[in-house]
Amino acid sequence: MQPVVHFKNVNKLYGELPAVENLDLAIEPGQFVTLLGPSGCGKSTTLRMLGGFEDLTSGEIYLDGKPISHLPPHKRNVNIVFQDYALFPHLTVRRNIAFGLELKGMASGAIHKRVTELLSLVALQDYAERMPAQLSGGQRQRVALMRALAPDPNVLLLDEPLSALDAKLRQQMQIELKTIQQRTGKTFIFVTHDQEEALTMSDVIVVMNKGRIEQIGKPSELYARPHSRFVADFIGQSNLLECTIVSVAGTVGTFDWRGNVVHADVIGSTAMPGAHATLALRPETLYCLTAKPEGRLALKGRIVHRVFKGAHTSITVALENGTSLVVQLDPVALSHIEGDAVWVGWRERDAVLLAS
Amino acid sequence: MRTYFSDLPKTALGASYWLFAVYLVLPLALMMAMSFKDANFIAFPIGNWTLDWYGKVLHDKQFLAASLYSIGIALATTICATIIGVWIALLVSAENIWGKSAIFALACLPAVVPGLINAISMRIFIRAVDIPTGTFAIILSHTVHAVPFVVIMVLTRLRSMPANLVDAARDLGADPFVAFLRVTIPYLMPALLGGMIFCVLTSIDDFVRTFFLGGYQPTLPMLIFAKVQGGMSPEINAMATIVLVVTTAVGLYAEYLTRRSRS
Amino acid sequence: MVDTTTQSRAVASLASPRYAGWIGRAVSSSLYRNTIGRLADNRWIRLAVLAGVPLIWLVMLHIGPIVQMTNISFIANYPPQPGKSSDYTLANYALFFSDRLYFMPFIRTLIFAAVVTVSTLVIVYPVAYYVAKVIQPKNRMRALLLLLIPFWAGELIRTFSIIMLLANRGAVNVLLRELGFIDRPIPMLYTFFSLSFGVVYLLALYMLLPLYSAIEKIPTPLIHAAADLGAGPFQRFRRVILPLSRDGIVSGCSLVYLTAVGVFAAPLLLGGPNAVIFPEVIAMLFHGSNDKWPEGAAFSMIMLVISLTTVGLFMRVVGGRSIRLM
Repeated sequence: MQPVVHFKNVNKLYGELPAVENLDLAIEPGQFVTLLGPSGCGKSTTLRMLGGFEDLTSGEIYLDGKPISHLPPHKRNVNIVFQDYALFPHLTVRRNIAFGLELKGMASGAIHKRVTELLSLVALQDYAERMPAQLSGGQRQRVALMRALAPDPNVLLLDEPLSALDAKLRQQMQIELKTIQQRTGKTFIFVTHDQEEALTMSDVIVVMNKGRIEQIGKPSELYARPHSRFVADFIGQSNLLECTIVSVAGTVGTFDWRGNVVHADVIGSTAMPGAHATLALRPETLYCLTAKPEGRLALKGRIVHRVFKGAHTSITVALENGTSLVVQLDPVALSHIEGDAVWVGWRERDAVLLAS
Repeated sequence: MRTYFSDLPKTALGASYWLFAVYLVLPLALMMAMSFKDANFIAFPIGNWTLDWYGKVLHDKQFLAASLYSIGIALATTICATIIGVWIALLVSAENIWGKSAIFALACLPAVVPGLINAISMRIFIRAVDIPTGTFAIILSHTVHAVPFVVIMVLTRLRSMPANLVDAARDLGADPFVAFLRVTIPYLMPALLGGMIFCVLTSIDDFVRTFFLGGYQPTLPMLIFAKVQGGMSPEINAMATIVLVVTTAVGLYAEYLTRRSRS
Repeated sequence: MVDTTTQSRAVASLASPRYAGWIGRAVSSSLYRNTIGRLADNRWIRLAVLAGVPLIWLVMLHIGPIVQMTNISFIANYPPQPGKSSDYTLANYALFFSDRLYFMPFIRTLIFAAVVTVSTLVIVYPVAYYVAKVIQPKNRMRALLLLLIPFWAGELIRTFSIIMLLANRGAVNVLLRELGFIDRPIPMLYTFFSLSFGVVYLLALYMLLPLYSAIEKIPTPLIHAAADLGAGPFQRFRRVILPLSRDGIVSGCSLVYLTAVGVFAAPLLLGGPNAVIFPEVIAMLFHGSNDKWPEGAAFSMIMLVISLTTVGLFMRVVGGRSIRLM
């Protein structure tokens, strides 16, 4: 299938500083794609380049196969939902949504029909004649979304649109956004620094760091199989193990971690014995036992912290090899407290060898 | 609990406020009162009261002509000053323009040069470029005087405008010109209205520029000035009272508009 | 069939609110796209349109007159007349320093403007402080507006109204006579006093607004803290309030001074033969039959340069950052 948006070797420099470097990204139509990364990673710049608000230093962007980097914003069939909504304060909700349609030269009757349709999609029919200042944050958010959808863009761009909302409303809007995306079948490109938001809504997540793409994948894939130290650390929480490769047999590698022998999945890795390697372990994949088990990996340690976090308990275990691991457990699973000795281990397929 | 303001300073401050208010209002009140004096000279006490002077002023062809002339000049000044002021403000607020602060300082120059010097330099300038004294010269100098204030008012409003608004309009299919007309101008409207009324009032009020640049036709201040020089009678008071009431009403409305635009 | 569709369309358009569809049609028309639309798309044309008119205006009308005035101030005769030299010369400036008739009014004007500035500051400061800090915030705007109302009456009318107060048969003299304090009216009008009184009256606003906005910005807890640390009212004023309102003082004084130096209507109505100030001298050189433009231009330049340097020095010494007009 032809990608709806295709960045080809795009570079963006601010003076000498690279904001986006060698970006190659193809986005399939109808997907909810999230650009995820810390502030300053180039995700917003990427979005603004697609919208036409930033010039490319080099490279080309294709929309439906046609190059668009020379077009001004008003000639690109993409629309943006801005971070602070940017609703026109002097126009009613209805006229705000109609703005793009009016500029297309659509007839009044057709505009009216379309606006009414869009308003009912987000249950705002009764607010059509209100001014933006009279709306709540969530309502403004919906109006901004409908305004951007009204001209029927190829791609809808959302620039951290939920960051101004409080936590409860944000979760509600996440679901609503996803529903609207599925119902309209449009390609959404969503920019955020909030990994939870990205995991909740996306079909595909593009993790960016320092102007480069770190990893592209489905949320579950990214979570379970991070490729780099950055992704392992930025999405969820990870224990990072610095070790040396001892041997590789099939898909299982054997590693020397400070004198302990551990195993991990090495699918797709070309690491050679003797090389340095980093393993990532999710805290919830670790097990914690009171006695040394038979036939399973177990490292001895002592509990140094035990923190109750509601749905789970987080335990920090100081191991005999001088490092420590964070383990996430069911609150009732273990009654031991600080100072108690425990055995910690993991299944070898839960340990991931990172590329860097 | 200590009282931080002992009562004495507070009372003194309150007294100073009210004294000042009386100081501001009293001369104008006396001036207005005198317009009702039934005698053809100005002196206290007023004695007999009459409305005759108002009747006389309202039938005074000279006064009506001067009023119309002043209003015409004020409107022309306002239109020119608003267009140029907005234009300069847009340039100063634009991104990636070199020397913005120099342009802004230059735009404000006529506001810090003493009025007399403004008038005289303009008198010299119009001779150099061969513009005769008269209506056009007056409008030109009034516009130069009003532009800095329009620039400042518009800039203040522009600074409070969310940067994304124009981007949003562009995104929805407006070219820069349409975005300016449909988003920027409506956003600026309250400041523009306030600024325009300010322009009207300063133009109608102006004396020194008109004095040096005017032709034979008198504006309102020139007419009042000529009457004062020709010998004072309560007729001038009646004339001044009419002008005062109208300009104050307009000024208060402008104040209301600018206050509303700030909130 | 046709009828019903047109009818229903008419009903739909009647029921629907008005959209600016014509803008869209205009914008998407080929006429627009090939004219303004094309120009608006080009970044350089946009920049030229944005910068062109303002720059021409600023250079022509904000700098031009001053440049031309400077130019003329160095010319022996202007406009050029046959038989008379029109060379560049410093004679016009020399004339100023050689004749007491010119020199004295200038000195008088500087003193006059300084007196007016200081008086205005002293009169207005407590008022501004009262409005900004003592009055309840909800009443503040109303209290300020009450003071602003008289300023919407024009310069000339307010100057004229001072005559009502100070004339020989004006309110003050009549009142004093009625009360038995005086037998003959005190001549107040057409003196240095009436001029200063009138100009303070005219310019108080230029002091009030900057002072008010500066004082209003002083955090009230700071004043309370000073009181808490044992500062009396005078100490609080001298050590906290005064330094923190410096920007307002500098702005207000600069504006009042610059305006007072160039007042024109007030001396014509309120000044007398003993209170001739420099603007009148300059005006005489431009009006009347024997106008002397080069001398007038030179004198104006002297006034402009001296008044702006005075304000510049004042700002340097007192340390204000900039003049705020509003």
